[in-house]
Amino acid sequence: MSQELPIIQIRNCLLVSIQTELHDRLALDLQSALMERVRATGSRGVILDVSAVEVIDSYITRILNDIGRSVRFMGADCYIVGIRPAVAMTLIEMGVELDAVSTALNLDLALEKLELLQ
Amino acid sequence: MTTTVESAIAAVLAGSITEITQRSIFHRLGGLAARQLPELAEAERRRVMSELETSVRLFARNNHAELIAACQRALNGEAISPAGRGAGRGLTKVLEIREEKDIASARLEAWSEAVRIGLSKFTSVKVATAVSELARNIVFYAGSGRVELRSEVDGSAARLEIIARDGGPGIDRPKLDEIFAGTYRSTRGMGKGLSAVKKLVDQFHLDTAPGRGTVVTCMFRGER
Repeated sequence: MSQELPIIQIRNCLLVSIQTELHDRLALDLQSALMERVRATGSRGVILDVSAVEVIDSYITRILNDIGRSVRFMGADCYIVGIRPAVAMTLIEMGVELDAVSTALNLDLALEKLELLQ
Repeated sequence: MTTTVESAIAAVLAGSITEITQRSIFHRLGGLAARQLPELAEAERRRVMSELETSVRLFARNNHAELIAACQRALNGEAISPAGRGAGRGLTKVLEIREEKDIASARLEAWSEAVRIGLSKFTSVKVATAVSELARNIVFYAGSGRVELRSEVDGSAARLEIIARDGGPGIDRPKLDEIFAGTYRSTRGMGKGLSAVKKLVDQFHLDTAPGRGTVVTCMFRGER
């Protein structure tokens, strides 16, 4: 059951909307696909939209941090957008950090922060 | 064993409508309140129900539809629940965890159970996250196991107990110390699952030893 998450290019930025369960394999595939695409397109930023994700546990957090770290190594910024309030509260209570990525409230604001929208 | 209209309905309304208010409701039912359930004619049953519907809407703070349905069941002589609002009192769900996809379904079950017993939106997400961590630990480190959800509703209080069991390798003392000190790093996850769960829940108990598997018991409490 091989799946792939679609990566959408907006100007010089890559967008992935996470709508499905992130498991080991999928996460690794996404990580390497993003790194390839960043290199191929010369993207300045990667935006991961998690607004459809109802629960983020420590494992998913690690995946997001890993993706953020690898994208940063390539010289691009990584933004997580759309974290739900209850999810944010839960992560804080658990003492889990999203420290290898930047966050923005939504896609527009992430693009603004990446200085792609004026 | 006989049951009167009054005792059957009082059992349903307990915790939702005060006793004093209940007395005035039964007073309004007149002689019907003291009648035995099986003796009630259809027209009388309907009269009692319409009186109860009005009273529930007037005096109960919430869960009107649920309470009215419970009154109806009680009048039919079914399922006399002592807690009124506790349609699913003392329910246990057992979820088998064998592979990665079971983590997502366990999480969903836990979330819907938390919502069902009336826990807040935030608490329900915490419940789902804790179950996600525990189920993930089972898949990653033990291979297979089970998660049990035990819910209990008592008046305005709800509690949800989560028990995660596996027959895996267990955790030894030095590793446990590292886990709860926050210094442990696993190769696959963050190594933070257990300590994260401990911080999320209202009560936490861990029973594990090398070769004996692991049982994590934790509890969420909330107001409905």
